[in-house]
Amino acid sequence: MELFSEIYSCYYQVLRHLLCSQDTLTIQDIRRLICGEGFEESLLSIIPKLEDGTWNLFERDGNLYRSRLSSSFTTPVSDLEKSYLKALLSDPRIGLFLEQKQLEALDKMLASVAPLWRPEQFYYFDRFADSDPYEDENYRNCFRTLLQAQKQNRYVDIDYTSPNGNRVHHHYIPARLEYSVKNDKFRILALKPASSAKNLHGRRQEQPDTMSDKDTGSTVNSGTRHMKLEILNVSRIQSVKLMQKTLSTPVDLNAMIQRSYYKEPLRLRIVNKRNALERAMLHFANYEKNTTKIDEDTYECLIYYNQNMETELLIEVMSFGPMLTVLENERFLNNLKARLQKQMRIVPPAEECP
Amino acid sequence: MSDFQELVKSFPKTREYVRDFFVYGFKTRDEFKEKSPRTYDNERRRLESWLGEHVRKDHVSNGSNISLAIDSNLLDTNPLFRVWKTKSFTDNDIVLHFLILDLLQDGAELTVEEITGGLLEKYEALFDVQTVRRKCNAYEKEGLLNKKKSGKTVVFSIDNSLAVWIRSNEGMLDALTFYQMAGNFGIVGNYLSEQFNHHNRTFRVKHSFCVHTLEEEILFDLLDAMNRKTDVHLEIKSSKNGVLNTADCTPLQIFTSTRSGRRFLCGYIKKSSSANSSRVSGRFTCYRLDSIKTVTPLDQSEEYEELLARLDRNRSYLWGVSFQGNTRRHLDRLAMTIQALEPSEQYIVERLKREGRGGTVTRTEPNVYRYEIEVFDCGEMLPWIRTFIGRILSLECTDKSVEQRFYRDLQTMYRMYLIEEMSP
Repeated sequence: MELFSEIYSCYYQVLRHLLCSQDTLTIQDIRRLICGEGFEESLLSIIPKLEDGTWNLFERDGNLYRSRLSSSFTTPVSDLEKSYLKALLSDPRIGLFLEQKQLEALDKMLASVAPLWRPEQFYYFDRFADSDPYEDENYRNCFRTLLQAQKQNRYVDIDYTSPNGNRVHHHYIPARLEYSVKNDKFRILALKPASSAKNLHGRRQEQPDTMSDKDTGSTVNSGTRHMKLEILNVSRIQSVKLMQKTLSTPVDLNAMIQRSYYKEPLRLRIVNKRNALERAMLHFANYEKNTTKIDEDTYECLIYYNQNMETELLIEVMSFGPMLTVLENERFLNNLKARLQKQMRIVPPAEECP
Repeated sequence: MSDFQELVKSFPKTREYVRDFFVYGFKTRDEFKEKSPRTYDNERRRLESWLGEHVRKDHVSNGSNISLAIDSNLLDTNPLFRVWKTKSFTDNDIVLHFLILDLLQDGAELTVEEITGGLLEKYEALFDVQTVRRKCNAYEKEGLLNKKKSGKTVVFSIDNSLAVWIRSNEGMLDALTFYQMAGNFGIVGNYLSEQFNHHNRTFRVKHSFCVHTLEEEILFDLLDAMNRKTDVHLEIKSSKNGVLNTADCTPLQIFTSTRSGRRFLCGYIKKSSSANSSRVSGRFTCYRLDSIKTVTPLDQSEEYEELLARLDRNRSYLWGVSFQGNTRRHLDRLAMTIQALEPSEQYIVERLKREGRGGTVTRTEPNVYRYEIEVFDCGEMLPWIRTFIGRILSLECTDKSVEQRFYRDLQTMYRMYLIEEMSP
């Protein structure tokens, strides 16, 4: 079993798509597909091989190319892939996707296969202790309904318990299901028509969650209605009902997220002591960032973020202590200073230990 | 540049370049001192070709600076998976791949000679029997073909039942798109998703650290050794100073940080027994996966199960990956008292419980909570402790250097941000 093998290569995938095409292809069609799916310079390698017949996989009829493969061509599942699937069977989240009968059928097909890994071979030492209840039947039902709604662009009616215990009731369109590795939790990135919110008791609407679940503040015009993006913990959802209504105009979620980023990124200065540079670069690798070298040991890093990420980012920056210096933006700097001021106020330096 | 090839033969060389560009993302041509400028140009061109849309170019005073701009909040897949799809091959490889698999699609069991004949007859493709046999045997090893021997005849066939099952199960396809983003060996999930033309438009992963996919080959070798319970010889390159080192150990478990994505091999190093002592003692230690360059299996470990059990017993005293602190004591104790206003700041108490890795949380008086834990190395806790700055009433540790470092760093931060004592 090899992980780095040509059978999984980009060129093989591109060729498979070309060869499985039922239509006769022109060289322009072929070029278009290679440009769309290949690497930037793949065209230069693949086209000559097809044109001169070195890769004798098409029948040529003048300028037309017809696949020599049968229309039902299927690549078999390799041992590596089987071994991967077998390992997934031991993951508690697999039950969110497959029913018991399907799990049993897959297990039977993989009876003689050894798993690529076993759960006990991994230890997640800093994972939070309150993982989602993946075995819970209500949780699974909610998850599957949300998944279906997301794929079909359908509205859902969600009954949700906010962190302070209030029940809220809204109509949403699940834009994405978001999984947090650190929290071992699913959330939904949900679009909410700006005017539709009311709680179960008809009172003023409430934000679904605190801290990391704050409204991004981003809105988008979808058709005639404004949409807001909210984040809800799946484990806080009491019930979810699939509605017939669908979202008619697609929403560009990434544009929405990017628009929610502050115009002024966080600007950090990193002095490369105690391996701080590498640690910071790896730690903040999940943010969009841009790093420049100022002098031999000093670097500056810009990190782009939104209100939703603010508290978490502040905590992450604080964890580095004096190894990072926040230069901008003012808002972030003020938040950091406020925490330091509060610390100094509750324990003045004179009273500190050694 | 005429000899430029977009594809590569081996992964390890490329792995380092991609990592440098991704992790640091600020090195110019002059700063890549370990390789020749020509190598740098070729690697850079490959990177731009593979990862084009994520490559950002900035002009700086000492040259052009390229980096990978990847915002994990916006990703439907890990862009660095593309690096895994760059293995070079020969013309025969790709032609035989498609033609042999197509010839056997109907489930027929054919000998190599029959396959060779079929290729000529059906596709007008002439290959010698030896070439076809090599490919069939290689594909049998990869599991793409079944090989059956009856008497003196060896036949090859395809079993596509699993592929057909996956294709017809939407739940399985959804699971694959999820796990490629959020699980171990995501690249294999991605291979499968692509094979079934199923692309992720449903899942996002928060706290996803793309760069660690580059370590999967090392992880693969380590798991293989762990499954076979063999010791391993490791070649390690220090991330601090680039110095190459080696180590022999018994690989026991993979430790993973969900906050940085970093993964470590936890292994046991035997202490060689001296002439006047028959007792063999050693220690547990952790190596970062991204610093391991090669893994060579050694002999089977005779005490594998016993070591695993010992690791199990020790794990509850680990904060992170360090089995030894600064003091000579086996364990050190840390206590932190914090202020959390009731009831509005209850989430802080929840944080202590959720993130405290087994430490106890006690309410000592209204609005005051005490967190206590006993671990091997309290120094590892400092980054977490700092996240409570603003509400720490006291910090006590049996390793005094930890206390000192915390307060010294706090003083430095007060000075850095010009925080001054204000009159009440």
